[in-house]
Amino acid sequence: MYTASKAALATLVLALVAGTTVRAQGVNGSITATASVQSPIAVAGVQNLAFGNVFPGVAKTVAYSDATNAGRFDVTGQASTPVTYSFTLPGNLTTGGNNLPIGSWTGYLNGANSTSGGAAITPSSTPAGSTLSAGGTLYFFVGATVTPPVNLPAGSYTGTVTLTVSY
Amino acid sequence: MRGLRYAFLLTATAIMPLAGQRPISVTGIQSLTFGILLPGMPTVVSRTDPVKSGRFDLGGPHDTQGQVSFSLPSVLTGPAGATLPLFFSGSDAGYSQSQNIGSQIGFDPKQPFLVTFSGQGRGSVFLGGTAQPAPTQRAGSYSGTITLNLTAFP
Repeated sequence: MYTASKAALATLVLALVAGTTVRAQGVNGSITATASVQSPIAVAGVQNLAFGNVFPGVAKTVAYSDATNAGRFDVTGQASTPVTYSFTLPGNLTTGGNNLPIGSWTGYLNGANSTSGGAAITPSSTPAGSTLSAGGTLYFFVGATVTPPVNLPAGSYTGTVTLTVSY
Repeated sequence: MRGLRYAFLLTATAIMPLAGQRPISVTGIQSLTFGILLPGMPTVVSRTDPVKSGRFDLGGPHDTQGQVSFSLPSVLTGPAGATLPLFFSGSDAGYSQSQNIGSQIGFDPKQPFLVTFSGQGRGSVFLGGTAQPAPTQRAGSYSGTITLNLTAFP
């Protein structure tokens, strides 16, 4: 008698699942963000161009190298940075309706507060370029000549010299 | 006679891992460059600026989708630990399937964004932003790191 073990219907289900667990892939990359902040430019008129007493019919000159009477601007900003500068110059010093002609402008530019070791400039021929010193400074020295007419009335005559500096 | 019957049902399945497809990639191509700033003067870089905008190139299975998200700094760091605030608006990022800076779909870099790779499996993300130096901002060089994360699903 065939004895068979209980017939057993063995069902072997073998499920073999091969493969990876499904996952999202993730990668990344980077860049840098950069900026360079500069010191703002400051321009200060520190000394007026002073002709003192002048006489009708007698021209008078103040050299840019005149430590007492020459005009001077001190500029500060970002060290060793190129700048552009320009002058706005009066044609006359005035009082009331009277004009005292001024012209023949001279100038000097230096990274240090000195009229040697720098360069002569022509204030009437701007804009022009220069570079702030390693300490972030530039000094402008200004001279000119006034030519009073013979009939110029007495009085105090004034005018404005403007220096504009930008990066 | 009955025999044991064994029924074996063998099921074997296999799922091909994505390794068999083109791998995904993110490559930083160009920095986001704000250039020279003056204290107190905000500076904006547009995502369409070919010189200053940031750029990432993406790679992945052609014509499939992925999700990009940024890790954005809130400041750039400079001399002696000084920080320079950085801002990103809702349209400061852009995606181009053709990798053309002039042909972008704008999106908010602060939010995840779904992208579709081109038929060649490529795309590019462009990024602009705003740097806002304080009136008393310390002079010097500032920098930060921007990371783009790309996730692709099978």
